[in-house]
Amino acid sequence: MSSPTSSPPGWKAALRSHEFILLAVLMAEWVSFYFAGTHHTSHGTFGFGTADAQADILRHTVEIGLLALVMTPIILTGGIDLSVGSVMCFSEIVFGKLWRDAHMPIPIAATGALLTGAAAGGLNALLITWLRLPPLIVTLGTYSIFRGLAEAVTRGADVFAEFPASFTFLGEKSWLGVPVQVYVFVVVAIAVWLLVHRTTWGRSFRAIGYAPEGTRFAGIPVERRLALAYVLAGTVAALAGLIYASRLNQVTAADGTGYELAAITAVVLGGTSIFGGSGTVHGTLLGWVAVAVLSEGLAYANLPRELGGMLTGVLLILALSASILPKVLSNWRARRHTGTSTSQPPPPAST
Amino acid sequence: MKKHFREWSVAAALGFILVALAVFAPPFYHPQPLLSLVTYEAPTLIVAVGMATIIICRQIDISVGSLFAVCGVCGALLLDRGWPCLAVLPVSMLLGALMGAINGGLVAGLGLPSIVVTLATMVTWAEALRWLRQGVLVNVGHAQWFGFTQGEGQLTIVITALVILLINAVGLRHLAAGRFIYAVGTNAEAARLAGLRPRLITFLMFVRLGTLTGLAAFLAAVQAPTLQPKPDNGLELKAIAAVVVGGVAISGGRGNLWGVFCGVLLLTVVSPISPALVYLGIPSYWGKAIQGAIILLAVVADGWRARKQKF
Amino acid sequence: MSAVSAPLLALRGIAKSFAGVRALRGVDFDLQVGEVHALLGENGAGKSTLIKVVTGAHQPDGGSIEILGQKIEYLSPALTRHYGIACIYQQPALFPDLTVAENIGLRLEPSKPLRRVDWAGRRTRAADLLKRIGANISPESEVRSLSMPEQQLVEIACALGSGARIVIMDEPTASLTQKEQHLLFAVVRDLRKSGVGVIYISHRLEEIFQLADRVTVLRDGQSVGTNAVDDINENKLIQLMVGREVSHIYPPGESAPGEVVLELRGVGCKASGVRGVTLQVRAGEILGLAGLVGAGRTELGRVLFGLTPADSGEILLNGKPVAVTSPQDAVNRGIAYVPEDRRRHGVILEMPIAHNMTMAIHQRIFPGTWLRFGAERQLALDYIRDLAVKTYGPEAPGGSLSGGNQQKVSLARWLATKPKLLILDEPTQGVDVGAKSEIHKIVRRLAKDGLAVLMISSDLPEVLGMSDRIGVMRGGELVSILPGHSDAHTVMAAALGQRGPGGSA
Repeated sequence: MSSPTSSPPGWKAALRSHEFILLAVLMAEWVSFYFAGTHHTSHGTFGFGTADAQADILRHTVEIGLLALVMTPIILTGGIDLSVGSVMCFSEIVFGKLWRDAHMPIPIAATGALLTGAAAGGLNALLITWLRLPPLIVTLGTYSIFRGLAEAVTRGADVFAEFPASFTFLGEKSWLGVPVQVYVFVVVAIAVWLLVHRTTWGRSFRAIGYAPEGTRFAGIPVERRLALAYVLAGTVAALAGLIYASRLNQVTAADGTGYELAAITAVVLGGTSIFGGSGTVHGTLLGWVAVAVLSEGLAYANLPRELGGMLTGVLLILALSASILPKVLSNWRARRHTGTSTSQPPPPAST
Repeated sequence: MKKHFREWSVAAALGFILVALAVFAPPFYHPQPLLSLVTYEAPTLIVAVGMATIIICRQIDISVGSLFAVCGVCGALLLDRGWPCLAVLPVSMLLGALMGAINGGLVAGLGLPSIVVTLATMVTWAEALRWLRQGVLVNVGHAQWFGFTQGEGQLTIVITALVILLINAVGLRHLAAGRFIYAVGTNAEAARLAGLRPRLITFLMFVRLGTLTGLAAFLAAVQAPTLQPKPDNGLELKAIAAVVVGGVAISGGRGNLWGVFCGVLLLTVVSPISPALVYLGIPSYWGKAIQGAIILLAVVADGWRARKQKF
Repeated sequence: MSAVSAPLLALRGIAKSFAGVRALRGVDFDLQVGEVHALLGENGAGKSTLIKVVTGAHQPDGGSIEILGQKIEYLSPALTRHYGIACIYQQPALFPDLTVAENIGLRLEPSKPLRRVDWAGRRTRAADLLKRIGANISPESEVRSLSMPEQQLVEIACALGSGARIVIMDEPTASLTQKEQHLLFAVVRDLRKSGVGVIYISHRLEEIFQLADRVTVLRDGQSVGTNAVDDINENKLIQLMVGREVSHIYPPGESAPGEVVLELRGVGCKASGVRGVTLQVRAGEILGLAGLVGAGRTELGRVLFGLTPADSGEILLNGKPVAVTSPQDAVNRGIAYVPEDRRRHGVILEMPIAHNMTMAIHQRIFPGTWLRFGAERQLALDYIRDLAVKTYGPEAPGGSLSGGNQQKVSLARWLATKPKLLILDEPTQGVDVGAKSEIHKIVRRLAKDGLAVLMISSDLPEVLGMSDRIGVMRGGELVSILPGHSDAHTVMAAALGQRGPGGSA
């Protein structure tokens, strides 16, 4: 334990903070891609450095960004949600079905999709809080069942497409040079940021992540808070689905595959601890942008897209190791000093 | 009976479905399509055997799909160059072992959470594979079915998988090392105090899973004349699902491979490619949903029982 | 038993300090071959620290350890098997999902991985060991399904099977039935006959007289007397346990307490073992709740706070019967509970002090769920000042504070709920002398301002110095209520269940 009345962390510690390093990495990425991926010709500037390219990058990655945003409160509570990609897809399918086969107007169909997402989140919450099952395995189950239902409803082949312009503007058009879905994203980002950093609910999420029993001792309704986190995730996953559908102007049963993992990557990269309690929404945003720029920017620099995935994986490991490193080092030093074995067993996947 | 209630209930569910098939869809039992189905899923069984001990010692590995693909492609490339099967098999297994060691080193050595580590390695291997192959198929050609006839090849694969299952089931039950795994899974701290080494055991489990996955990848690669260089969609989910359905608790320390075997069979019978669905008149696109329902049912049943036990 | 040979275990001058607190100050202790040597002492006297030194969990700062005359340079938990030391803790370190036979097997077999498991052999050996201690447990049962006493018996079987020469038993009868106790005594006598030395820690004096050959009393980290059991009696033992110089001045109590705030009539909770508790606490009064570990005091606190609601009897708050069903319910009714486990339940070490202090009053200080940092900071500053918390500011994480200051933060969290009844559970456990005194002054001040205080404490001087009245619990029941000026002897006697002078409900 550190000594009592130790002084507040100074600016040096701020420099070493996760967000700052991530910001530095992000800037390095951006600058590299700018120089490697922008071509100045007599006809104008093309490539990464153009406003169009930046807009495209945002456009392509908003869905993952939304998932990463709502994954943050869940991971803060020490849980996880592997089902967001499948829920996103299934909500899209419900949307498509309601609009095309039940002939409902777009707003009603969209509401149906959002309610589906909320219900899916509710199912997760129910199983996790009522049956006290580990979130990892519950969401693994809902991950497969919603994907399965998506396939079943579409008979594996059905595709919903040709949505009206009144809907596709969401994914295709821009207002004031910024893609429409980015405005939606910004609203959700602000809302989630406020939830986590400025409300008592957000405070509860952290407390639950750090000390679930202690939080209960303080009189906080733990089950209700968890339900909020998971239902929110389901609803926003549905929203991401709607945006995806409007961008590609089609809905298939394969949509969103792998998105949950991309979201988790963004969150962990952004400095949120997988064990819960510590982490920020702005960290997640940085993590998301870092991954988005990395994966999309490579194409502009004529580098293979796959390199982005590989580098993301490596970056994730480095980020994790960096956070663990101080503990490992101090354990190692302690062991050599006292001669006693303090080696702990490795952390379990789920408690 | 009571002690292995979970395993018996899976076996019962499997038995029920098999009986239903016999009554309502006898063509399911035609030897050739049945053998093809079982052969196709034999690699999954092998991976599930490896996954089971990972989950028993309270870890998880979602990178097996990518690992599988990498080993399969490497093996196929060697086969294409004319290497004999008997030489390629150990290479595939060794490669799998190395990749498993990376996972194990990060989890057991640095204490990083396995879900995130294997997420990272999964993405890295998958993307690396995609990059290096650019979707170009790999020719397996002469090595298909090991050079035997299809029937012989299929039998070889199925028997290999069953032998692996048998060896591991026996080892897990009757070898001291097998029991150590359970000890670490149920109370790692007590295991340490009893003189065991939880971190080493965890590391070895990841290496074991990697080796078995390398073997499984090889057995899958020889089943078709060409191999697609992309990660088997959902192998990790299939393996984890089979293990969980088969009665291995995600909280670690309990479960056995016979239950996992039943779990694999159960999920195989209702999988989208299973002729069972065809013969029962269920459209194949319901396959994934049925699988998901079975998984969820198993998870909920476990939670329900645990809840009742607490009071 | 020949007294000429070297003692089985000889501890000389064992000293151990933790963060400036001297837990052991040069303890001498020896154990002869084939002897049952009881270790007695209050909570915090140093018994568990001494045992941890013997099992190698702690390295002593000074002194020496000898086994059969041979000096032991270094001891660690892994080496205890080698030296023949076995310890049976109250919390067994067993494998819950495995069978009893497997548990015993894993503990006793050499850890060579490539061996064939001899299931039949394991079963027989386990059955054998269990029969020897007369435990009615099937070797095939899962440890998870065993009750706590049964798990302890399995631990004893392990110790027996490991051929240990030195067996330490830490409160082994705490949760055993009469019949099981007799079995245990037979086992202990058996061990003694075969030359094993047993260190027997217990609070039950009658057991010590029944079983032990010698008894050593620890007090404040020192051994204050080792006597043959035949040469001493209960009263003398109690005297040794509590006799001390009073070095701490407690703030004086005051005049007439007010209305009855809390009244319990036959309150019980089957699940937590609390039975038929009847007491009253008035506004402005401090009711100390004394008793030994396991007496049910914390359990009573948890019942009152709604964590494990009562299933029998009546609880009246300000004269009105209430049912407290959850912590939130308790807070709404004006009951506050400062928990015993400061690090896990009291203060979240990773969060700032201010956040900790407002954790229980979100609805009150943050209407509409919107966080208001200004109000929070002000509240934190106020409490930091009122309780004299030593820190650089409200944003400091809980983990940066010393134990005493953490306790103040925990206290502040609950004072912020403006309670009518304050339940304190071990308020100064692990707190240094200076902060201890400050906390005492704070509690007395709170009482003077009209709060009803129920103070659970294992620190006898604290109970004696702070309480206006003292309730003594034993075995889940309230056995007596003593006046605040009672002496230590009376209180300890009541806690130990000795029928003697003083003490009536």
